[in-house]
Amino acid sequence: MKKHVITAAIAAAFLAAPLAATASEAELLARIEKMAAELEQLKAELRASVKKTEAVEQRQQVIAAAPAPAAAPAPAPAPAPAAAPAPVAGAALASASGFSGPSTVLTGYGEVNYNRPTKDASQAQADVRRAVIGIQHRFDEKTKLVSEFEWEHAVVSADDKGESEVEQLYIEREFGNGLRGKAGLFLIPAGMLNTNHEPTAYYGVERNFVETAIIPSTWREVGVQLSGDTEAGLTWDAGITTGFDLGKWDAAGSDGRESPLGSIHQEGQMAKSRDLSGHLALNWRGVPGLLVGGSVFTGKVGHKAEGFAAQDARVTVYDLHTRYTPGRWDLSALYARGQISNTEALNETLVGNPTPVPRSFAGWYTQAAYQLLKADDLVLSPFVRYEQFNTAKSYAALPAGLGVAPSPDEKVTTVGANLKVGEGVVLKADYQKFKEDKTRDRLNLGMGFSY
Amino acid sequence: MRYLPLIPLAAGAVCAPVFATQYLNVEQAQKLMFPDASAFREQNVALSLPQMQQVEKLAGLPARSVNWRVFGAYKGDALLGFMVLDDVVGKFELISYAVGLNADATVRQVEVLTYRESHGGEIRTPAWRRQFVGKSAAGGGLAIGEGIANISGATLSCTHLTDGVRRIAAIAQVVLKK
Repeated sequence: MKKHVITAAIAAAFLAAPLAATASEAELLARIEKMAAELEQLKAELRASVKKTEAVEQRQQVIAAAPAPAAAPAPAPAPAPAAAPAPVAGAALASASGFSGPSTVLTGYGEVNYNRPTKDASQAQADVRRAVIGIQHRFDEKTKLVSEFEWEHAVVSADDKGESEVEQLYIEREFGNGLRGKAGLFLIPAGMLNTNHEPTAYYGVERNFVETAIIPSTWREVGVQLSGDTEAGLTWDAGITTGFDLGKWDAAGSDGRESPLGSIHQEGQMAKSRDLSGHLALNWRGVPGLLVGGSVFTGKVGHKAEGFAAQDARVTVYDLHTRYTPGRWDLSALYARGQISNTEALNETLVGNPTPVPRSFAGWYTQAAYQLLKADDLVLSPFVRYEQFNTAKSYAALPAGLGVAPSPDEKVTTVGANLKVGEGVVLKADYQKFKEDKTRDRLNLGMGFSY
Repeated sequence: MRYLPLIPLAAGAVCAPVFATQYLNVEQAQKLMFPDASAFREQNVALSLPQMQQVEKLAGLPARSVNWRVFGAYKGDALLGFMVLDDVVGKFELISYAVGLNADATVRQVEVLTYRESHGGEIRTPAWRRQFVGKSAAGGGLAIGEGIANISGATLSCTHLTDGVRRIAAIAQVVLKK
């Protein structure tokens, strides 16, 4: 159809050109040559256009030939005479109109950070904090594999401090009617950061303390999970997974004081699985711009290990969180608390060590960010965050004189800004002030990306 | 511990009432958007260069494609509006969606036909999609943070879908508006 229109237009142009009336023979020749060239160009464009149309038609035929998973092809409601191939497109599943992306997608994110303690510059450090490669493969419309491979601290070897790890490795299957299941190594839906931990997704060079010290981001377990959504904006996740291993507790070291659960997580590395854990997360987004949610994770951590003094110990972590993004504001708050029960007997065996197992640890933060400037693809968002956390809020009772005193709450104020470059790149700068351990005050600079 | 396996089962049972909109097909979307229509006619649009430039100016986005799949919704001979089909990439995967438009180029309804990402399915929430209704490319308010609220945890999906709706609203303004 289009072809004919263009041909007609060209013919009309020739006819209409007032050739004979004005031009000399040489001029005429030149013009004819020019027009011939233009004609060639038009022909080429036409050929390209026809090819494109053919490709589209071919694709439509392929789509039509493919069995529609849910609905049998039915005639279009009112096929217009002009749209002969329309019934195919009109009745096939909508997904058919778009499912043409590659089945294997490569993703990645990473961050390079610089920390400079303001009271002791000799401790200043630059670090390739993490480099992550993700590979997602879709087997079919309903089944896919999600994987993430991570390197931390640049170099990994027996003599170096880096780590290499499989961060996620799971199969996800859609069951229709909004239900989906996961099996493998996946992120626990606790708090807001753990499942959205790419540097472009949070404010500040470093991840907040509450969601690293209390909720041990990036926290993943091996297991199964079922998720779903409701019309009212409620998303739920429920699952059974591996849990923590209290047998890994190092009372002589300081890891347990930095992040109690981070020091006993198993990360799918030959994880002890005598005791399994369960989790449930609810997130409600029924009002545009508002998120209100919470999660709970609980499971025993003794694993019936021979001679272990805390067979009945149980870890329970829960959190409540909210985020509200009216206009240019981005406001959020989170509270998280963890408990390890039945640790009296174990702690008695650890008397004299600096880091017994805490009975409770908790923290909260509140954060406000504002999109101050937007120019072209640059977005500048200053933010301020106040957090309070304690990794050893209380200990199980010990005979007088043998216990360790609970830690005081640490309070940290972070002020800084994120400069987003397009969608995938972020430059960050902030200053962190510590109330208890003032030697930790520091200036941070960071670069991050995610694609 | 014995009852742990029951947690996901119980959660599934409680929340089973589920989502009718996940695998909406084109016909279903048409009927949802224009329940009064007696006929839908495919009247695809091919944008000319000046039209594409106008769309880019109105939407603040590249027009991306010359050809657009458009259905006109009619009640008898009277035009009720249009439905435009499109796909945008969420985070890694395609989101298939349809935008219903009134004859005056205001957005009538947005429906997500297929969503494939692990996260961010909340863009299907009716309350979020209702934010688009009644807005137009000329009137504005079709951008994240400027009329359309962000969805926490689904920033890329909701940004890309919003951009897609704004582009289609601009096409409607330039080409379809009666």
